[in-house]
Amino acid sequence: MEIKSQHKGQKGLREKVLDAGLCTNCGACTNLCPYHTSYQDNPILIDTCDREEGRCYAFCPRTYTDLQALRQNLFNIDEFTPELGPFKGLYMTRAADPQVRRSAQHGGTVTTLLALALQEGLIDAAVVAEEGGTFLPAGVVAKTPSDLVRRARSKFVVSPNVATFNQAAKSGLEKIGVVATPCQALALAKMRLKPLPSKDSNIDKLHLVIGLFCGWALSWRELKSLLQGKMGKNSIVGLDIPPSKHHSMEVHTQNGIIEISLDEVLPSVRKACQYCYDLTAEFSDVSVGSARLPEGWEVARGWNQVIVRTQMGQELIALARSRGLLEFRDLPEGNWEKLQKASVNKKRAAIQNLVQRSGSSKDLLYLDGQDPVLRTLMG
Amino acid sequence: MSIIALDAPGKELLLMGNEAIARGALEAGVKVCTAYPGTPSTDIIENLASVAKPMGLYVEWSINEKVALEVASAASFSGLRALCAMKQNGLNVASDYLLSLNLIGIEAGLLLVTCDDPSAHSSSTEQDSRPFAKLADLPLLEPSTSQEAKEMTKWAFALSEEMGIVCLMRGVTRTSHARGNVTLGPLPSPDGRKAWFDKTRQRNTHPVYQKHDQLHRNLIRLEEIFAASPFNQYIGPERPKALIITCGSGWLYSQEALELLGLEDAVGVLKIGTTWPLPTTMIIEKLEKTPKVLFVEEVDSFLEGNVKELAADFSGQIGPKTFFGKRSQHIPFFGEMNADRVIDALGKIFQVRYQARSPRYEAQAAEVAEKMLPSRALGFCPGCPHRASYWSIKNALQLDNRQGFATYDIGCYALGRGPAGYYLLKTGGAMGTGTGLASGFGKLASFGFDQPVVAMCGDSTFFHAAMPPLVNACYNKSNLVMVILDNSTTAMTGFQPHPGVGRNAMGEEVAPVDIEAVCRSFGAKVSVTDPFDLEGTKQKMLQALEDPVGAKVVIMRRQCQMLKGKEEKLPYQVRVNPEICIGDDCGCDRLCTRVFKCPGLMWDKKLAQARIDEVICVGCGVCADICPEKAIIKEEIR
Repeated sequence: MEIKSQHKGQKGLREKVLDAGLCTNCGACTNLCPYHTSYQDNPILIDTCDREEGRCYAFCPRTYTDLQALRQNLFNIDEFTPELGPFKGLYMTRAADPQVRRSAQHGGTVTTLLALALQEGLIDAAVVAEEGGTFLPAGVVAKTPSDLVRRARSKFVVSPNVATFNQAAKSGLEKIGVVATPCQALALAKMRLKPLPSKDSNIDKLHLVIGLFCGWALSWRELKSLLQGKMGKNSIVGLDIPPSKHHSMEVHTQNGIIEISLDEVLPSVRKACQYCYDLTAEFSDVSVGSARLPEGWEVARGWNQVIVRTQMGQELIALARSRGLLEFRDLPEGNWEKLQKASVNKKRAAIQNLVQRSGSSKDLLYLDGQDPVLRTLMG
Repeated sequence: MSIIALDAPGKELLLMGNEAIARGALEAGVKVCTAYPGTPSTDIIENLASVAKPMGLYVEWSINEKVALEVASAASFSGLRALCAMKQNGLNVASDYLLSLNLIGIEAGLLLVTCDDPSAHSSSTEQDSRPFAKLADLPLLEPSTSQEAKEMTKWAFALSEEMGIVCLMRGVTRTSHARGNVTLGPLPSPDGRKAWFDKTRQRNTHPVYQKHDQLHRNLIRLEEIFAASPFNQYIGPERPKALIITCGSGWLYSQEALELLGLEDAVGVLKIGTTWPLPTTMIIEKLEKTPKVLFVEEVDSFLEGNVKELAADFSGQIGPKTFFGKRSQHIPFFGEMNADRVIDALGKIFQVRYQARSPRYEAQAAEVAEKMLPSRALGFCPGCPHRASYWSIKNALQLDNRQGFATYDIGCYALGRGPAGYYLLKTGGAMGTGTGLASGFGKLASFGFDQPVVAMCGDSTFFHAAMPPLVNACYNKSNLVMVILDNSTTAMTGFQPHPGVGRNAMGEEVAPVDIEAVCRSFGAKVSVTDPFDLEGTKQKMLQALEDPVGAKVVIMRRQCQMLKGKEEKLPYQVRVNPEICIGDDCGCDRLCTRVFKCPGLMWDKKLAQARIDEVICVGCGVCADICPEKAIIKEEIR
């Protein structure tokens, strides 16, 4: 179902996404023009734009999205699975280099793959997120493997990496890889379909998308005040969310780990995340997330689970394996099913929330109720 | 040097009303002249300042009108004739002291001239200053022509001395700025009088009630004097069918209207030059001889109300009258007077039809104007630093994302309430009000108020009235950002110097008052930025907005382009590269001409691209910095 507004420019974006509370701050509308930007974790409209059609609206992952067209045009539709999207295989990996593992959030797979892509010239720059001491991440362009390592840890606040991609593509970089959350991967996929008859060919510079599994992101202002209240003068070195049975967020400080119950954390989740339909960043070349192992969280936190989705992704993983850069271990029994179940749960929750938001079971706002996959899920 | 000091008695000059007032003051032997600039009064003191040295005067731009009146009073107390000038808003400021000075009394002649601005051409208010005369029980004169302005001024000093009280004179835009023939009188020869304050006599308001009583007795004496004044005159038949009572600019409009309607033989005109207290006997005598009265005056129904009071007192003697004026809606309560308004009123009273021009005239004129004149929003000049300041403040407030807004005072920067300042200004009004309001908003956090507030203030306004509210904000721990737009002049009224400039009205070099140091001494956190550094200015604003504690002052300093342009050549040659400009395409949508809106930028409809208007571009180069495609090129001119 097409959305009602005829405005497919800033006005439409404001009404349908920003004011509707759907914006994820992915950065897709940013650095395309002077009017949209992102500041301190918030999408900002600097001035109004009068155009009735614009890239901001066309690229946004929360304006009407024809998922089927994306699957057909960008992926091998035969390898598509309703639960996990385009799917060539699920693996458990970690970086062979212990130094990479030490500075990484979990297994260091993302860092390893990006470094390899840079070394091999598959990409000449990688857009990754960096945060200062304030948990406010920003997209940065890394051009060497060493640029990557110090940005390796997970961020729990959205970094508008698509904005950084837009900037990098404008600046003359030709082959760019992007580390993307599901909403960002969706935006990049929409951009690849070139929805507007524009001379803009910057999206052709996108050569690799490494997606991140993502349940939700936190609002920066709220995270900041939550941590300020909890930590006092303890300096924080990182955050982590263990598997759901722990029901907590770990705050890594120089004096050890402090656990905060998820009940306290969840109110700080960005409201827009409840409408997200994608757990595993389906529109990427490979998607990477945390692992589960029978040995428990202490071992699992040193590994990643990786979904390979495209030819490009497959070749990169194979190269990493043959070079001995990634270590592999067998996927434990049941992991695939658990991941599928988690993914489907997120999709169902999103659909439910979208229906509640729109007030009509036929209106899924940015999603198409007639989409074959959605129809299966909605039963 | 101004022609007002020409020593040629009997010579006729074409003088503006304000020049005539200045000349009248010179003929009266004025010694000290003070003012805070304010249109339409400004040129009185500008003219006197330009002749100060040869004429042996002391002339100053005071920091505000109250101080101006105090400085002039000191001269009067010391035996020197003094003149103090201001616009209508200024009298509001000066009134605090005026309402003491009326009781205190004066020594040498002291004239307070207020120029009202009907229709608010250059004002934030449309206000009648005359009620202050009634409030303060002081004499008020209103000239109708340039000649009269000069004569009245001269006479006012004598009257002030005779009565021992300050005399008020009210002009309006059209009497101040219209030119008329003035026959010069002699200039007094220097008397070499030594200024001296008689300390055996205290000059204060006590005993208050006795002095108040004295003021009312003065009014009786003044009525007698005014009854004989040549500034009050009657033209018309002995027993007119109707009488126009008018003053100021209304006199000429009334005569013109009667002439055009052919009613000169039916309607008489009583022109009052001494509007408070009214010349009672003269007015009653005229009222007796007519059944109908029309009041023609600008702004409020001052004459109308006061004459009706008299008519009530003398109702037995004069009988019933029909009154026409503002209350009867024959004359509008707002806007400037003109002959058409008088014609309209007379037409209704006498059932006469008069058409000066076709009823379609206005529509036709508007049609032609629309075709020939480009529509222009009220905006800042090309190269104005305020535009750049507002740009950065707007961007910072948008990024800050907490629905922040700005408050303001009076000055060029008040245009920021429109597109020139990106509609940032939401409330304000009087001098210094922006900071006072912000001081208030900044204390509402405990009631859930979480919007940042930016007080916009000019440098001249800072000295005039914004220092006390800044002290208030510091003292009361209010959370606000005050932006001082320091363009190093009083730009709005024509570039008068102020204490921060380093020069005074007499042209003397003085140590400039350091605004930054003043604010720091109050306890504010101060930063200084060049508004043309867009990024730096935005960052300083963000820093100030994000600091939740206390008063933050950001001084945005760059000289007014109207002054800079006189002293310096263009810094940059600016052009648009048509290869790069994407016009209204996605990615720009005419940021420079649609949003930034410097009048030096033009939109070429045919090419669908921006262009530079080379005639008015002053080469500031700011547009090159805002262009998202870097299509506007600035090249340094050597």
